[in-house]
Amino acid sequence: MSTHTTRNWLRIALIGFVAAALAACAPASPAASVETAAETTVSEPVQLRIGVMGDESTLTPYTYVTGYPGWNLLLLQYDTLYQTDVDGMAQPWLARGLSVSENGLTVTIDLRDDVSWHDGEPFSAGDVKFTVDYFKAHTQSRFTRALAPVESAEVAGEHQVVLTLTAPTPLFELSVLADVPIMPEHIWANIEDPAAHAFESASNVGTGPYRLVEYRPDQYYRFTANPEYFAGAPAVAEITAIIYADDTGGLTALQTGEADMLARPVLPEQIALLSASRQINLAQGALFTTDMLTYDMTKFPFDRAEVRRAVSLAIDRQELIDTVYLGAATPGSIGWIHPASPFFNEAVVTEYDPDQARALLDEAGIIDSDGDGIREAGGAPLKVEFLTPSGNALRLRTAEVVSEMLRNEIGMDAAVAVVEQATWEDAVWPGFDVAQGRNYDMAMWGWSAPVQANAVRITSLIHSDPAIGSLNLTGYASETADALAEALNVAVDPDEFADLLDQVQVQIATDLPFIMLHYPDGAYAYRADVYDGWAFMAGQGIFHKLSFLPESARP
Amino acid sequence: MQASGESRGGRFLQYAAVLILAITLNFALPRLMPGNPLALLAGVDVGLLSADERAEIMAAAGLDQPLYKQYVGYWGDLLRGDLGYSYRQKRPIAEMLAQRLPWTLLLAGSALVLSTVLGSVLGALSAWRRASPLDTSLLWSMIGLNSLPSFWLGMLFIAVFAVRLGWLPAQGAVTPAAQLTGGQQALDIVRHAILPVLTLSLLSMPDLYLTVRYTLLDVIGEDFVRTATAKGLARSRILFGHVLPNAAPPIVTMAALRLGYAFGGSVVIETVFSYPGLGRLIFEAVGSRDYPVMQAAFLLFTVAVLLSNILADLLYRRLDPRLGGVHR
Repeated sequence: MSTHTTRNWLRIALIGFVAAALAACAPASPAASVETAAETTVSEPVQLRIGVMGDESTLTPYTYVTGYPGWNLLLLQYDTLYQTDVDGMAQPWLARGLSVSENGLTVTIDLRDDVSWHDGEPFSAGDVKFTVDYFKAHTQSRFTRALAPVESAEVAGEHQVVLTLTAPTPLFELSVLADVPIMPEHIWANIEDPAAHAFESASNVGTGPYRLVEYRPDQYYRFTANPEYFAGAPAVAEITAIIYADDTGGLTALQTGEADMLARPVLPEQIALLSASRQINLAQGALFTTDMLTYDMTKFPFDRAEVRRAVSLAIDRQELIDTVYLGAATPGSIGWIHPASPFFNEAVVTEYDPDQARALLDEAGIIDSDGDGIREAGGAPLKVEFLTPSGNALRLRTAEVVSEMLRNEIGMDAAVAVVEQATWEDAVWPGFDVAQGRNYDMAMWGWSAPVQANAVRITSLIHSDPAIGSLNLTGYASETADALAEALNVAVDPDEFADLLDQVQVQIATDLPFIMLHYPDGAYAYRADVYDGWAFMAGQGIFHKLSFLPESARP
Repeated sequence: MQASGESRGGRFLQYAAVLILAITLNFALPRLMPGNPLALLAGVDVGLLSADERAEIMAAAGLDQPLYKQYVGYWGDLLRGDLGYSYRQKRPIAEMLAQRLPWTLLLAGSALVLSTVLGSVLGALSAWRRASPLDTSLLWSMIGLNSLPSFWLGMLFIAVFAVRLGWLPAQGAVTPAAQLTGGQQALDIVRHAILPVLTLSLLSMPDLYLTVRYTLLDVIGEDFVRTATAKGLARSRILFGHVLPNAAPPIVTMAALRLGYAFGGSVVIETVFSYPGLGRLIFEAVGSRDYPVMQAAFLLFTVAVLLSNILADLLYRRLDPRLGGVHR
């Protein structure tokens, strides 16, 4: 090759590169939106591609990995006896209804008689009893623990089953019956070691609206609709859950049209960007995840009620949300329960009042006596280490803003200490066992959605006995709170339950065993031209089986 | 010959010692890291466990045993070819690695071949036309390429060729659920591999280019090349008959060594392109603290690097007559 031709090649390569760079800077071609507008007029069976992050293994009740979206993917194939509706209330599903005995210990459930498994076998009471027995005998599944309130199950008729409970269980339909998938006896009876059982299409038999027909690790899951579904044929014919390595990959795929929806909510800073796109829509609503402050209540300064109250009053929650979440969050209620929950007590008011905060501390004699801007109580400065995990940018920024608010408003030095997630967990919750105590002053913390969605779990946050208060990370101990929690744990009467839950929220708002900051909202990106039937479930988002059923089939 | 054989035996002893050390470190590291494996073993319900349940879960994973017993057990498992069990994915790790290995081999293998060929050819071209505009522009481009972060180049390619131009898919190794067969399936796999292979190749090419260029320049300056030129031999004959054979040992060694590191280089690229290979598996295992998977994958990387070192060692001996390999 002569130098001359080489130079030509280089020139061509250079032109090519410049052209590519120019194309990258040019606005997206308008032709794309014209094409998609034309597509919507054709009513072909809907094929939906949903982006998820991370592999969920073989998607059986024993092998699925995450609570979200793993559990939601699992429940495309399986059904529960009750189903959570869009308002977050449990409605009869595989069951027609139930009755509870006087003492609250016997639950008689009537089942639907028009349900079949994917392989055509009829669904019956025997399957329900089998499911309870199987989860009790093979304990490697999360559902073994979910079924802890159930002592035994007996078949009372072909379509009637009687559950005996160990103790009266409030919200039993929501916390147990709407959670545990019913498995087919004729398939699972032969499986000895469920955790080691590999995926094969024959064993993935459920009653659900979809059947898993293909799984490629780290690539995708393919589900096809069950046209015989008892609630009505699904509106989406085929769902492919594509596994992306991270958020960036998923967003790219949404932009190139390789995916039609992302199961994970998009970050606040992307909301404005995606709203501007013509092809991509956003479904926004309340989520039940939480961001809160936890601290060690057994030592100074958080053993002082005035300090806890002053900290809560000094935090401008709306300002925090506007700064860190760009508005996409709901201010925290100091009574724990989300304002969008049916159990929220409206009498609990969360205030921002720095003047009152300062007055509280002044009155308690916690004042800045040496003029360094930090208050002291009898010589001990109001100074704590504020632990924050390094992996979560939003929590980190929240911590920084809170730390600044506390210093400026009430003269408290809460220095942010950024640590690796495991170190943070180990300090706040050693061994995941609150009986082992705690090794921290103050921390950014948050609970996943189920802790909020299942309102009874509020008792685990406040009871002083680790066996009941398994999530009481702050060493909170109050006889009033204990008594309320114990009463709530067995309150099967709905009115009594609601009344007690109101009282617990007031108790938390008064004693402040932790300080709620906010509940991040969920914004889910999807392409409306492919499918627009999404239903936002209060606190849980749009990726759940109801979104794929026609309106008439939803409870 | 006796001495040489002994030194080779000594070398293998060294490699064995390194392997044993690596395996021991591999065993120790996750256990030295902060945090409690219980979160991983029990999943989302870790806060709802009773003390008995916690103990039961730790015992089932063998984590209640004294450390030395766990260590002996680890060796026993390895010797039986048992790489362990992923508690997160609830599957044997050997199976998980086997599912992902072909994709990484496809990616890393193609990139290795492409970057070696391109790097050598361009390096030879540069050396042969030293100080020409071609040499200068190539040299500067390679130095520029060498300083790019790999994720950035990958994302740039995605932004240009997938998002803006729409020529190639941005993510994955196949079109999900497309049910393709035969030639169409092969084409689909190639289309998905183009961007990641190109990224990996471009990023690993500069090293080889620079080595080839400098080695050739060294050899070209030698007396025997001047003699050959004075004898009136054709330029191509001098290049291929005299220069290349003498420049081969360091180049081949470099290529062989890179074989071992090809796996490691795939972590970032497979993540950027959501490619279902070993690198992505490691990325996710680290993110979710799936220690058994991390251990198994790091072991695989260690073995790959050691094997490539051994290979480079052997090749060097065969190619360099001064080390007494060729004439035996």
